[in-house]
Amino acid sequence: MMLIRAFEAALLRREDHGFQLLTSGQEAVSVGVCAALGESDQLLTSGRSIGPALARGLDPGRVMAELLGKSTGPNRGKGGRGHLAEPVAGFFGAHAVIAGNLTIAAGVALAAKCRARPIVVACMFGDGACGAGALHESLNIAAVWKLPLLFVCDNNQYSVSTPWREVLAPAQLSDIAKPFGVPGVTVDGMDVIAVRNSARDLVDHVRQAGPAFLECVSFRFTPHSTSTRETRSPAELRAAKARCPITQFTAHLRQTNALTAEQLATLGDEVAATVAAALHYADTSPFPDPAEALDDVV
Amino acid sequence: MFSTTHERGMIYVLAVPGPIEDVEEVRVLEWHGTAGQQYKPGDLIVELETHKAVVEVRAGQAGILRRILCEASVWEKAGGLLAVLSDTPDEAMPASWDGLRQCEVAFEIT
Amino acid sequence: MPTPPRFRILPKLLMMSSDREPQTTKVFFREAIARALREEMRRDETIIVLGQDVGAFGGSYKEFMGLHKEFGKMRVWNTPVAEAAMIGLGVGAAASGMRPIVSITYMDFLMLGLDPLVNYAAKARYKTGGQLRVPLIVKVTAGAKGQGVAHSQCLESWLMAVPGLKVVAPSTPADAYGLLKSALQEDGPIVYIDHKRLFQTPGHVPAEEYVTPLGQACVRRTGTDLTIVTHSYMTSVALDAADRLAKHGISCEIIDLRTLMPLDMPTICASVVRTRALLTVEEGQATCGVGAEVAFRVREAVGSVLVGRLGALPAPVSSNPILETACIPDAKRVISATRQLLAV
Repeated sequence: MMLIRAFEAALLRREDHGFQLLTSGQEAVSVGVCAALGESDQLLTSGRSIGPALARGLDPGRVMAELLGKSTGPNRGKGGRGHLAEPVAGFFGAHAVIAGNLTIAAGVALAAKCRARPIVVACMFGDGACGAGALHESLNIAAVWKLPLLFVCDNNQYSVSTPWREVLAPAQLSDIAKPFGVPGVTVDGMDVIAVRNSARDLVDHVRQAGPAFLECVSFRFTPHSTSTRETRSPAELRAAKARCPITQFTAHLRQTNALTAEQLATLGDEVAATVAAALHYADTSPFPDPAEALDDVV
Repeated sequence: MFSTTHERGMIYVLAVPGPIEDVEEVRVLEWHGTAGQQYKPGDLIVELETHKAVVEVRAGQAGILRRILCEASVWEKAGGLLAVLSDTPDEAMPASWDGLRQCEVAFEIT
Repeated sequence: MPTPPRFRILPKLLMMSSDREPQTTKVFFREAIARALREEMRRDETIIVLGQDVGAFGGSYKEFMGLHKEFGKMRVWNTPVAEAAMIGLGVGAAASGMRPIVSITYMDFLMLGLDPLVNYAAKARYKTGGQLRVPLIVKVTAGAKGQGVAHSQCLESWLMAVPGLKVVAPSTPADAYGLLKSALQEDGPIVYIDHKRLFQTPGHVPAEEYVTPLGQACVRRTGTDLTIVTHSYMTSVALDAADRLAKHGISCEIIDLRTLMPLDMPTICASVVRTRALLTVEEGQATCGVGAEVAFRVREAVGSVLVGRLGALPAPVSSNPILETACIPDAKRVISATRQLLAV
């Protein structure tokens, strides 16, 4: 979580940061879910991919390179944040169309079933995707065919400027799974242990029985994107930041004596060093040759 | 439909029934009987395949199958001749099938 | 899960030579499709079929008949009516090492699944820098045949403009078989377009296995006065028109595209260089149509020649028989377009 926060902060300090959707504030969701996934499992995400990619274990230098358009990124600089992917590392990839990755994830799960591979496919999406037909179609087919698919709704409560309750009918978003007979759970997305525990339970269920739906209620600490203005009040933001997942978890570890002040400081140093190394790697990597614009089209 | 009277000793041709919408050609799927087989009205004589369905051709009159002109898996155009039948087993086969009366049949598309 | 490299034993390419007539068998159009799938599904267990009514029912045109019985429910998947999910399932499965064919009954309903096809399948290889491949076939049935404005469209020209997508359209059972065999060896997404009116016309198919190469048009009729470039059902309409024109001394060369993207420009240009006149004929809209693309590419490659295009009238195609006939090109309209173009 600390790495994600520091990584994004460093990215934002650059003039060339580009069009980004940041995970800051929502780190517990990615980290908690990834803690429940095994090496052979697959993770798909929306365009809010930086946190999940780092949580899944992608190399921070290569992720930074991809975000900055360098050819050493996993997508050779051609996907950027919206399509960041490294399937061999269990990160099947991001897709920037809202709800666009859900039916794809169902297909990845179908392939696993056809090949009798006991993997779990997790697909992250936001509250913004919950009104889309693709979600309902995917839930339906996953339920009927018992696909090994975990739906992870990272509900940061706003679709750009629109509060979710204004445009979505269910009392809680995990209720969307109910009509399909898919078990749904809602947890506090700012509590990494709660997320991890629920994720583990549901991943077990998915491995054995079929699809499940995990809703994590979270809060983003930055606007929807680097191109979007903030719509929430300063008071609301302050209240949200008071529930920072990193602060909460650190406090928990300190209180239970699982982490000393020294260890915390060391972690901070390691994170800073990792981020610095990532920036250095990206900065010393080349941009793609313009001729590569025609590579890998068909 | 079924015929009420026949002259004794007639030869008939069994043609591909129709018209069937959009069907210009059929392929014989399976004969239900061989030369000498006796049919009464309602008996299944042959099944034909069209591009979308199977056509069951049933006898509309009593008759005896004398000669199959299109064996199974052979193609024939709409209205083309599939077989020769007769009222009795011993009538002589004519030199040509021209001008012969068509055997009454009922057909069902399945 | 990276897509593993494919080492396939390609079916022996049938060599047509004058001293050896290939043995052929006459089959229904639907049987050609089923045969291609059956042969390939027997040798490649990653091939799966998804679609509405493709199970025991065998598909709307019976083109999947027998597959469910032989291969079972883990290879032939009956789906609900959910084209976005159907295609997305195919895309995700293809990207994960399967080789799916998704059947969309009407080309009109492809639109419901354009997001996974265009925004993901066509772009997956590019956007992942080559990490993912999507060997997916989306099979659709196009064309007007009395079923109304939302069940009659020919939208292939839209798909030609999507980088990353290949598009094929057989006009005969032989090519329905051969193009599908080819498509099942591709490693990117391909849209396979058949046509309602093609199913009723049987044709001869070589008894031995073969492939129809992609990107290769077929000269269906040689001629000297005009090159007609067409595809799918309009091929038979153009051939009918050419027969009638021949009686009046006008000699037409008919090129059946077979693959719409990539276009076989060498075959087209070689013809137009001789005839110096091009008429494109399609059942879809002429505006931004297949013909518009062909004509412009011919202009770039060959220079200025006589050019005309014929497509449907710019109106939705009603189920009303009078109106449908008024809208869709027929032999009469091909003949009059030819006469007008050649000023004869």
